[in-house]
Amino acid sequence: MSNTIKVSVWRGQTEGAFEDFEVPRQPSQTVLDVITYIQRNIDPTLSYRFACRVGVCGSCAMTVNGRPRWTCRTHVDKVATDGTLQVSPLRNLEVVKDLACDMTEFFNKMNRAEGKFHPTKSRDDDFDMVLPDDPKRKQASQGIECIGCGVCYAACDVVEWNKDYLGPAALNRAWTLVNDVRDGGNAERIAAVSGDGGCHACHSQQGCVEHCPKHISPTHSIAGLKRAVAKSALKGIFGGDD
Amino acid sequence: MPVDIKIEQHKTDVLVLGSGGAGLFGALHAKAANPDLEVTVAVKGLLGKCGCTRMVQGGYNVALAPGDSVERHFMDTVEGGKWINRQDLAWTLVEQAQVRIRELENELGCFFDRNPDGTVHQKAFAGQTFDRTVHKGDLTGIEIINRLAEQVWARDIKRMEDHRAVALIPAKDGSRIAGVLMIDMRAGIFRMVRAQSVLLATGGGPTMYKYHTPSGDKTCDGMAMGIRLGLTLRDMEMVQFHPTGLIAGEDTRITGTIIEEGLRGAGGYLLDGNGERFMHKYDERGERATRDIVSRGMFQEMRTGTIAKHGGLYITMKHLDPTMVKKNFKGMVERCGDCGFDLVSGNVEVVPTAHYMMGGIVFEPDCKTEIPGLYAAGEDTGGVHGANRLGGNGVANSTVFGGIAGDTIARETTPGAPLVEPDQSAIDEAIQLCCKPLNRPPAQIDQVRTKLWDHMWEDAGIFRDAESLARAKATLDDLDGELDTIGVADTNLAYNLTWHDWINLKNLILVSRSVVAAATAREDSRGAHFRADFPDVRDLENSTYTVVRMKDDKITLGTEPVDFTIVKPGETLIDETAA
Repeated sequence: MSNTIKVSVWRGQTEGAFEDFEVPRQPSQTVLDVITYIQRNIDPTLSYRFACRVGVCGSCAMTVNGRPRWTCRTHVDKVATDGTLQVSPLRNLEVVKDLACDMTEFFNKMNRAEGKFHPTKSRDDDFDMVLPDDPKRKQASQGIECIGCGVCYAACDVVEWNKDYLGPAALNRAWTLVNDVRDGGNAERIAAVSGDGGCHACHSQQGCVEHCPKHISPTHSIAGLKRAVAKSALKGIFGGDD
Repeated sequence: MPVDIKIEQHKTDVLVLGSGGAGLFGALHAKAANPDLEVTVAVKGLLGKCGCTRMVQGGYNVALAPGDSVERHFMDTVEGGKWINRQDLAWTLVEQAQVRIRELENELGCFFDRNPDGTVHQKAFAGQTFDRTVHKGDLTGIEIINRLAEQVWARDIKRMEDHRAVALIPAKDGSRIAGVLMIDMRAGIFRMVRAQSVLLATGGGPTMYKYHTPSGDKTCDGMAMGIRLGLTLRDMEMVQFHPTGLIAGEDTRITGTIIEEGLRGAGGYLLDGNGERFMHKYDERGERATRDIVSRGMFQEMRTGTIAKHGGLYITMKHLDPTMVKKNFKGMVERCGDCGFDLVSGNVEVVPTAHYMMGGIVFEPDCKTEIPGLYAAGEDTGGVHGANRLGGNGVANSTVFGGIAGDTIARETTPGAPLVEPDQSAIDEAIQLCCKPLNRPPAQIDQVRTKLWDHMWEDAGIFRDAESLARAKATLDDLDGELDTIGVADTNLAYNLTWHDWINLKNLILVSRSVVAAATAREDSRGAHFRADFPDVRDLENSTYTVVRMKDDKITLGTEPVDFTIVKPGETLIDETAA
């Protein structure tokens, strides 16, 4: 292990340039530690965002050597295979400054995909009985642990081409709700995800699946949504009471 | 001044500070009770992402199961709190938790784990006489905050992200709150947000200690603002330490974060630097003793025994079935692995770590504070947990009282009603404080942070005595002075983290002073507070609690008798004959 690592860091906003730093290596060092070291010891004006430090909040995602990652959980050894690091903000989001992005659009798309629970009961009612091995519960559980870090959104080429595309995270959330037996909003949700920027815009390139730090498969969820939309369209034509 | 200090103005009916369980529930309840109110949530990072509710692993304590009762939950809470809880607050917590958990599940969509028969699963958690912790795997906080955030996004609730509050501003005539001075961190400008009602829900977070668990954005901002406004805070000496935080060496953000308690429950060993077990020297239950005892044992061992390479001790699971460890502690194994540690077959270095502040701003069961128009909920407040918080009562606290705050605020706020004139001198003073480092030659502020961490850890942490606390007090005064001489590069204030680090330290030092003052005053040991010079619990019947407030830049201190309004030490609410 060399005593230092060369780090190339994006400075600026949409317009900007990479700036090089040399940071001492430590045995247990994440990319976030490297960025923090630069801000604390070399250039106090470097901007970046982080919060939980342990892969729970998804505030610190950045592009590291070309791939979107949580920087708090990315050990330098894993990515700096040739002894260098290049760190830039997440793709497909507006840059606030240096490594920090504005995630407003990403959050808004969660809402546009009806990625929120529509209650059918209230606080005066008891919990619904839901069997843990019920197939629908299992489907919902597969995608429910998404933390909304935006890594899939940054990895997705369709998002880059089509600004209206709701993106993998929002559609994944919609799919978990389609499988949530307690939810009453599926008519709105199916309508929300079947439009131009909805599930049919996905080309199944699987960038999301490849990069998701939680090993969730938004592609699988989106395929499920496509089936649900088709089923609902058929019902619209032929009727049905399911 | 070297840079232009810009101040923009903003108005809203209700301003919520913070987006954890307390803040988001406050906003949702206020909006639900009166949709005509303009409700704004301001948060230091991104909505729903920063703060600590999200980091909750354990779960949510609530008496639901047959055989359990609010009385039982209440007794566990008060006995855990070593009888200094404000009992009407503790009662509100346990009673309203029953409502809030169903609201979370049925109205907001949290999908809590179930038993094989489809009923909600409740697990055992330390210090409780009943299995009552509702959870979603070991990521309960993520589930709760994700669901709350998406409901907020769906409503007409205004968001101010990357906005930090720097001062609670009273009305010109002092009659009530007038609003909050904020820094728009992205733009690097001040923004005076005037509001009829303000909910203080920024969370605590004892990050003044060298080893700490909370989210990195947490720096006791709410308590610091409360102290500067002249509010009374109680129980500030009560800082809870978790026995096992990761320690990964200098300059590592992950240091201090939790290695879960369940590992010791499952048979994990704590080892000294030589690989020898040591906990049986301190308690016959060994590694399975309670949080406070294990933390003290480890601290003692680190002082007198052999330490590991980064100054901590080790936890190991390697004598246990690796398949069990990988399966039952998947998240922890992965987290350790990502940072270069092998939790399945190696030794992982750990250290006790500052986790939660039981103390905070004095508030009422309806979340009102001393100042009309100012409400508080969650870890910013004191009195609910007493001297120790039970695992699983933290997220119950923030969500229960956040919701109540929203209800109270809706009752007391009129959409579009005129706003009172803010006290301009308070605004000027706050701006001056924040801008102090901008007029000075830049220097490294990191040395102040390191000293604060070290001194609070050594002198005002797990072990305290009169001498160490006197040392801590003197050090804090010096550090505050030292910080004032340090400048921050100010050519661009937009997203200037180093400027915010300076303000963070200013807040942490102030709140540390109140912790040290309260710890000096409490001459007994109970709950999270251990005085080596007064190792015994004094008589519970005559329990007192500490109060601090700031007057003329000095922390003043008092003690008040605990009013046992519901149950006295030695009594119980649990009718054993009925069971």
